[in-house]
Amino acid sequence: MSLRSRVATWWKAIFRAQGLDQQVAEELQFHIESYAEDLMRSGVPRDEAFRRARAEFGSLAAARENSRHAWGTRFFDELRGDLRHAARVLAKSPGFTAIAVASLALGIGANTVIFTTAQHALLDRLHVPHPEQLRLLWNTDNGDVVHMFWGHFGQGPDGKSETTSFSYPVYEQMRRENRALAQLCAFKNSFPMTATIDGQAESVSTQMVSGNFYATMEVQPALGRAIEERDDGKPGSGPVVVISDAFWTKRFGRSPAVIGKTIDLNGTSMTVIGVNPAQFTGAFSAQRSPEIFLPFSMQPVVAPFGTKSLLTNNDMWWVMMMGRVKPGLAGASAQAQMNALFQASVRGTMTLKAGAKMPVLLLQDGSRGQNSNAELSKPIYVLLGLAGLVLLLACANLANLLLARGSARQREMSVRLAMGAGRRRILHQMLTESLLLSAMGGAAGLLLAYGMRNIIPRLLADPWGPPAFNATFDWGIFAFTAGVSVLTGLVFGLAPAWQATRVNVSAGLKEAGQTTTHRRRGLSGKAIVVLQVSLSMLLLVGAGLFVRTLVNLDTAQLGFQPDHLLLFDLNPPGTRYPSGKDVALHRALEEKLAGVPGVEGVTLSQNPLVAGSISNGPFTPSNQAKTEQEQDAEYNVVGERFFATMGIPIVAGRGFNNADTETSRKVAVINRALAKKFFPGSDPLGQTFRDGERNSQTITIVGICGDAHYDQVQAAIEPTYYMPYRQHGDRKGGMGMTYEIATRIKPEAMVPELRAAVQSVDRNLPLVDVRTQKEQIAATMQQERILADLTAGFGLIALVLASIGIYGIMAYSVSRRTNEIGIRMALGAQPRRVLRMVLGEASWIVAIGMVAGLAGALALGRLVASMLYGLKPWDPATFAMSSTLLLLVAVGASWIPARRAAGVDPIKALRHE
Amino acid sequence: MSGDKAIDLLQGTLDMLVLKAVSLGPLHGYGVLLRIQQISQNRLEIQQGSLYPALYRLEHEGWIAGEWGLSENKRRARFYRLTAAGRRRLEMETRKWHDFADVVGTILKTAPEER
Repeated sequence: MSLRSRVATWWKAIFRAQGLDQQVAEELQFHIESYAEDLMRSGVPRDEAFRRARAEFGSLAAARENSRHAWGTRFFDELRGDLRHAARVLAKSPGFTAIAVASLALGIGANTVIFTTAQHALLDRLHVPHPEQLRLLWNTDNGDVVHMFWGHFGQGPDGKSETTSFSYPVYEQMRRENRALAQLCAFKNSFPMTATIDGQAESVSTQMVSGNFYATMEVQPALGRAIEERDDGKPGSGPVVVISDAFWTKRFGRSPAVIGKTIDLNGTSMTVIGVNPAQFTGAFSAQRSPEIFLPFSMQPVVAPFGTKSLLTNNDMWWVMMMGRVKPGLAGASAQAQMNALFQASVRGTMTLKAGAKMPVLLLQDGSRGQNSNAELSKPIYVLLGLAGLVLLLACANLANLLLARGSARQREMSVRLAMGAGRRRILHQMLTESLLLSAMGGAAGLLLAYGMRNIIPRLLADPWGPPAFNATFDWGIFAFTAGVSVLTGLVFGLAPAWQATRVNVSAGLKEAGQTTTHRRRGLSGKAIVVLQVSLSMLLLVGAGLFVRTLVNLDTAQLGFQPDHLLLFDLNPPGTRYPSGKDVALHRALEEKLAGVPGVEGVTLSQNPLVAGSISNGPFTPSNQAKTEQEQDAEYNVVGERFFATMGIPIVAGRGFNNADTETSRKVAVINRALAKKFFPGSDPLGQTFRDGERNSQTITIVGICGDAHYDQVQAAIEPTYYMPYRQHGDRKGGMGMTYEIATRIKPEAMVPELRAAVQSVDRNLPLVDVRTQKEQIAATMQQERILADLTAGFGLIALVLASIGIYGIMAYSVSRRTNEIGIRMALGAQPRRVLRMVLGEASWIVAIGMVAGLAGALALGRLVASMLYGLKPWDPATFAMSSTLLLLVAVGASWIPARRAAGVDPIKALRHE
Repeated sequence: MSGDKAIDLLQGTLDMLVLKAVSLGPLHGYGVLLRIQQISQNRLEIQQGSLYPALYRLEHEGWIAGEWGLSENKRRARFYRLTAAGRRRLEMETRKWHDFADVVGTILKTAPEER
């Protein structure tokens, strides 16, 4: 026997079935005719010859069929028949099919989307060779040493401050003397810079890198060359940039001629020397790449920070370091060596107070960069949990439906068994049906997941910015969730068939036989409904908590008027706008913008309100003893008409005016919270204070304003003071400000006018991040909004699935008990009593499920306590509302079967038996 | 067309007979039937309806190969010829058949011992 001929004939039989049929028919025809001709030659008349030829041949149809089967088509013919039958069966009960497919699709779709998001946010690694070898350097317990920093600064799990920022001199010394790591390089995500390309200015994201950065990352540019040691020599020696693949596409249409092109970056001419591979995102984030990479040597020229170069500044901690482990050197020993080197470098570069505590160096996993999505991990874990519950619920629903259907079809199975169908054949048929159902659910889930794959990254990002990351569709995850759902379908689709085929045929055919075989199914069905109700309760309470959190946030008193405000950022480069000149620029822009038709008010602030950022510094009232512990307050540097434009009331004293100039007495307006904390029982007006670093001059309080939320709505309003920007120009120059424009004209119509006004002052100054104040506020509530939207969606799905479950189980119970109910009514039971009896049974199931669900909600609530605003995780109102809603839906779902039971005609019910 | 002293075909021997018939030269389905009857002098009863499933089974196994051609009376017919694999199979079947017939024949020929 040869495999080749088997496959060839089988292939032909399956895919050229028509041709094969025709061939067999033609052969048989030839046979009959030849035989008939032979008979005629021996004298038999024509008609008689054909009749005899056919009769002796036997069944032509059987010969055709058997010939085809000889080519191995039996399995496929049966499968085709089964599929056709299954499709007919499913089409006959469209309600069942739709619900089953929809619950599968929701379970698969929602989980694939959430899992994909989670995988990206939590697990994405840098696209470099061997990312697992990368180590990001951290230092902790640095309170005595680090006084100036730029970058991530947080608290570790042990409460000690930790940061990834180091001073450049420390980096230089560590790199020089490093023996414990195979490589050690530095990088820094810088502020947005202004790139002017072919006369068009735009804001670009940047990363400064050391000369050995590309060598350490082991990345080769896709085009041109990488930044090398020779570019990272003395300050200003390497006017070169490597651009990201996305930026290459966006600005240069992927033209290879980009290599050697000169672009203007913050006023400095730089040459494009390379284009990064598409997947490479730099060292900071595994999700989003900066657009332009430049060597550190250009920092003093392109991005000056104060008068002193950051590269020689011993006190400013700002550079991040990444290294590769040396094969064969244990992690602990490398860390100990690097720590000793780090502490020696700190001592060698800084003048420390006696007894200052030395910070400790940590080598941590660098394969995901700084993992800036860490703050997303909590809501993602919550969503993962909830999506898992939805999947469980969908599977329970499917199981319930299939079980109910299986027992309803018990009779059909018995009939088929009685008529001689093999058990294997029936199981085969049921398997096909379950598979078809699962496949339809899987396909719908795939469509859903594919369509929604980018919805969460988009929800996570600012509405005016690019998505937080690009989710690529993950077939592995889809296969997993689809596998779970399909398995459920198979198990619960086959179980009833398996049981049905074991049942005694005659018992199955008798009506009375049903009672014995169905009791078990009734119990497992009820258990599934209890599970459904408790899961729904859990999801409903979750939804209630998050929706109420969002409502609380949305209706919270802001302390300012967010309507009709348009925001944008302007970041004049320090190269062209050193200290003093930048203030003059903002004054000119303020005046220019106020003249644009439709603008009702213009102001600007260092930090926009409710945007997640604050400035913070020491606040020392002059009349207080110096020995007292230093206290901090939040501050904002704002324009003259800030209070009027933002709608923050001045409750005492005055706001700023044009008499508060660069040279006049320094003034400030404080909020009520500050007045209460620092000046209890005295009048703050006219008092003075010092603000830490700028302690050369005292600042006079001239007014008190109402409390307004600063960085976020979620937290209480802190003591805050405001100062006019004309008196507080940054020494480093290049002061970036957010402009707030009061206008009733639509943003789309307004922005071109504003842009034109800005460009009439400086045509190389792009407007960045244009958004309304309300969008800005909404952006800080993204996490709460996503949680509220998705959990509300999950809650709705849960309600629908639970009501289907309850309806199904009660309808089934009533139809099974028709006879019993008939007897009760014949004996004098009132319809109302029957109604109550059925509703009572449903209430029991629902009550058990609800209690279990509420207990679960209480237990799990503390996990989300930190994500709630204005309510506790055991919020009684939420619990009461969710329970009431679920109870109403449950009663509604069991009302129809209960009415049917109450309407039973005893005569008919008894005759039916 | 069965003869008077028709012998019923033993189970599984039809395949062997078809292979043998085709080994003498390419034949169409009706030709296979005629040749077997001719060689056996009409002593074998072959169910015509089971001939074609057998032909397709043998083709599926790769022992014979079917091709369209023209019959004696210039009509389109499907001709089967023996493949190399089919020749090996026929040799093996023939050997097995002879062995089997020898054994069965020996047993049947054994005379009863004195009684």
